[in-house]
Amino acid sequence: MSSQHAFASETQRETTGKGRQLVAMKELDKVYGNGTVALSDVNMTINEGEFICFLGPSGCGKSTIFKLIAGLEERTRGDIEILGMSPKEARKQSDIAFVFQDHTLLPWCSVIDNVMLPLKLRGVPKQERLQEAERVLALVGLSDHRKSLPRHLSGGMKMRVSIARALASRPKLLLMDEPFGALDEITRQSLQDELLKIWQQDPSMTVLFVTHNTFEAVYLSTQIVAMTARPGRVSAVLNVDEPFPRDDSFRTSAAFSQWVRTVSEHMQH
Amino acid sequence: MKNNVQPSAAGHAYASSKSTTDSGKPVIAQRNSAFKGWGVKILPPLIAFVVFIGGWELIVKLLGTPAYIFPKPSDIVRAAAENFNNLMVSVWTTIVEAVLGFLLSIVLGIGGAILLASNRYIEKAIYPYAVILQTIPIVAIAPIIVIWFGAGTNAIVIISFLIGFFPMLSNTLIGLHSTDTNMLNLFTLYNASPLQTMWRLRIPAALPYIVAGLKISCTLAVVGAIVGEYVAGIGGGKGGLGYAITIAASQLQTAFLFAAGLSASVLGIGLFLIVNYLSSLLLSSWHESEMKK
Ligand SMILES: Nc1ncnc2c1ncn2[C@@H]1O[C@H](COP(=O)(O)OP(=O)(O)OP(=O)(O)O)[C@@H](O)[C@H]1O
Ligand SMILES: [Mg+2]
Repeated sequence: MSSQHAFASETQRETTGKGRQLVAMKELDKVYGNGTVALSDVNMTINEGEFICFLGPSGCGKSTIFKLIAGLEERTRGDIEILGMSPKEARKQSDIAFVFQDHTLLPWCSVIDNVMLPLKLRGVPKQERLQEAERVLALVGLSDHRKSLPRHLSGGMKMRVSIARALASRPKLLLMDEPFGALDEITRQSLQDELLKIWQQDPSMTVLFVTHNTFEAVYLSTQIVAMTARPGRVSAVLNVDEPFPRDDSFRTSAAFSQWVRTVSEHMQH
Repeated sequence: MKNNVQPSAAGHAYASSKSTTDSGKPVIAQRNSAFKGWGVKILPPLIAFVVFIGGWELIVKLLGTPAYIFPKPSDIVRAAAENFNNLMVSVWTTIVEAVLGFLLSIVLGIGGAILLASNRYIEKAIYPYAVILQTIPIVAIAPIIVIWFGAGTNAIVIISFLIGFFPMLSNTLIGLHSTDTNMLNLFTLYNASPLQTMWRLRIPAALPYIVAGLKISCTLAVVGAIVGEYVAGIGGGKGGLGYAITIAASQLQTAFLFAAGLSASVLGIGLFLIVNYLSSLLLSSWHESEMKK
């Protein structure tokens, strides 16, 4: 848990896009075993410390990109490197967390045991595990449900547990695949703010985030990656040059609506 | 005004009369259904049982069939009571053999499946032979086992184990392979060791399959023990139900034969119910699938 110190420091993020290159994808193709071309000729670099939202129609390969970055799927052609390593090597060395599109909670474990799972797999001592789990459960507002089994929670609550589990490992690279899709607007906004706060506290933390919600993408990101389907390609990368911290006044500003309009126009082509 | 009041009063009367029927009806319906639920469950099979036993007694009595060809229920009860001690010794012997065989098939079946599932190459190399071995009828190789292990408890336990082993192995193996890919991804992502993945993910996820295997194997273990006793006989110790059945058959003690056969069924059912109960205990605190049933 050496990363804990980085979090404890009160370094606040003011500017963006100054980190070293984290992910490099060159002419990247992914064809699944059944012949589905999920990604075709993807070229993109991701710098450390960014908050990048991936926007695109269903089936355009957003989850596939995430799985390639996490080393859970093999590329078919082209190159993908993370800090100069293959994704698998990088995964073994770095603190990476993934919020999958479905909650992937162990049905036989209580909420708190689910949240502690990554720490347990790493051999973090029990006392520390419990502390971390309590911290992140409070963050997603589920402290009262620590002993519940996942089947007794609503869909949105399960997703929040899954988010808490990802945060519990204090990742340097956080991959979130439509994490807020099942949440109501109020919870969604408060979790957006929490997530931004966590991200801002650590200048070297990178978040990659899939959403179908243009407002959410503009509110959160330093960069928006627009994708098109069949085959999956990156059609545009937009730098959202708006200062952090962002709050409700940004949500209602003219600049915000201008960005939403720009992004929507990109998505229609 | 009057016209305005009238309908509302009527409405009230209607509402209140409705509410009394509402509050009255469900209680009666509940009481009825609770009684019915119990009655529907217990009563019909009980009546069928009494009619069946009574009819059997009556018809055999009327026809005057001798007891060594077709005993009446009363003959069976008398035969069981007269030889009660012998019968209990046989039942106990068979229980011990079947339970030992069952335990062996649990340990080796689950252990073997974990071994096969933890290495794809071992599995590819060995599993086909396990399937082929299973197709050999156990009765055909039972004499070989008796030659190897001697007539007696050892051979009987091994035959009982062999019959229950394969369902345990294949069910567990299917369960271990049924883990959700996203869950496996999660464990891969957090760099879990193969041992951690097996222990914390694959085995718990396989539990419903393992339990299904247990239910099949426990009844088969009783069958195996009795078949074993047919072949291995009394050996050194006391004979089990299978042995009692062969002796009773050869001496035309048909009523006792019925009693022994019935005891064997009760034994099988009893073991099954115990396993069923234990597995639902295991699963209810554990897995979603049991809750849906
Ligand atoms: N394991 C797989 N095997 C075969 N085809 C797959 C597999 N996973 C995804 N695909 C296919 O690859 C394409 C991209 O899938 P992907 O899950 O990356 O899309 P997505 O952008 O995440 O969509 P959504 O927004 O609906 O989650 C789809 O056409 C899908 O059918
Ligand atoms: Mg997806």
